[in-house]
Amino acid sequence: MTVRATTILSRTILAAAMLIAAGTASAHHSFAMFDQTKQITLIGTVSAFEWTNPHAYIEMDVPDEKGILKHWSVEMGSPSILMQSGWKFKDLKHGDKVTVRISPLKDGKPGGLLVQATLPDGRVLGNGPGRGPAQPSAGAPNQ
Amino acid sequence: MIRCDRGFLRLVFFAVWSAAFVSTYVYGQSNTNIPDFSGAWGPYRGGRGADPKLAPPPATPLAMKPEYAKAYEARRAAEAAANSRGEPLATASSACVPYGMPSMMSVAVYPIEIIQAPKQVTIIAEAFSEVRRIYIGKPQQKIDDVPPGYYGRSVGRWEGDTFIIDTVGIKESVQYQRLPHSDQMHISERMRLVAPDVLHDQITIEDPVVLEKPYTYTLAYRRMPDYEMVEFVCDNNREYVDDQGVVRLKVREK
Repeated sequence: MTVRATTILSRTILAAAMLIAAGTASAHHSFAMFDQTKQITLIGTVSAFEWTNPHAYIEMDVPDEKGILKHWSVEMGSPSILMQSGWKFKDLKHGDKVTVRISPLKDGKPGGLLVQATLPDGRVLGNGPGRGPAQPSAGAPNQ
Repeated sequence: MIRCDRGFLRLVFFAVWSAAFVSTYVYGQSNTNIPDFSGAWGPYRGGRGADPKLAPPPATPLAMKPEYAKAYEARRAAEAAANSRGEPLATASSACVPYGMPSMMSVAVYPIEIIQAPKQVTIIAEAFSEVRRIYIGKPQQKIDDVPPGYYGRSVGRWEGDTFIIDTVGIKESVQYQRLPHSDQMHISERMRLVAPDVLHDQITIEDPVVLEKPYTYTLAYRRMPDYEMVEFVCDNNREYVDDQGVVRLKVREK
């Protein structure tokens, strides 16, 4: 079974994500399109690793229970954020086998937000921000 | 003997005056103890290991005029509801449009870089590679003479160890945390080191049309001595806005 769905009620993860989105700082986008109360694990083959802004992406083909390949787009932080959590631009390439844990899109499309990736060399990397959440709400109006 | 002393005093006086003149008018600085803000700065966070004395003070209450407050609250409520449905509303950044002032000073956890020169301080925000130029020794223009833009026109001056910046000319669509503003908005900033490697930027937004009274918040930064700024060109934006104004993520077929 290569696609495993697990619902976790990780308040810590949810709270951290909300701080980034709603702290004093502006974030590139709301993470509300991802269901961060859920995580699914994908095991598949990288078709492209795009080290780009405003976000990097892992494009991967993942076999389902019947062995039929389905394509997934996995959103990551930006290169700057990823570098702070140990990523390098050459860490993945076409053809690599990778295991990722993602929070899936709420609209049901085959995409999600990276939580954690296990690289072919065994390293386990997160999705930043690496430098911690944005400052507390000092600058946000109405706080 | 007396002549000689007078001559010497004149010489000393002239030397001091020349130094002050050169410092003030040539370099735009009225003192020689100007702190060095140059380099990269990341957000300074509280929490374990942080010195609470260096944390930024809380923001002042936001006091908007009732007609603007009503629309602002309605917008925030709509945004919260949309987020809880998983259908965030479009913002300028959905289209990779830069943040402008004052938002660019605090975008997520991205650093800023300060380049300090006698006649100009330049601040580069890593996110979206935004640039603002603060002219020293030049007068500010009238608000109505500055074409509205993302960064407006900024002039600065040193007052002791504090760099004071005055900015006008921010276009109305360029908003901080969705706070509406008029073309009369005026941003003033006071930047100073509160520790050798901790910088505060106290930002005050004045707007006689929208705000009942000025709104002040403070950002804190930590020096990142070895950090090399990362380029940020928004050439792979997968977000799009559907016909309901909802932000979606494009996923690839293969």
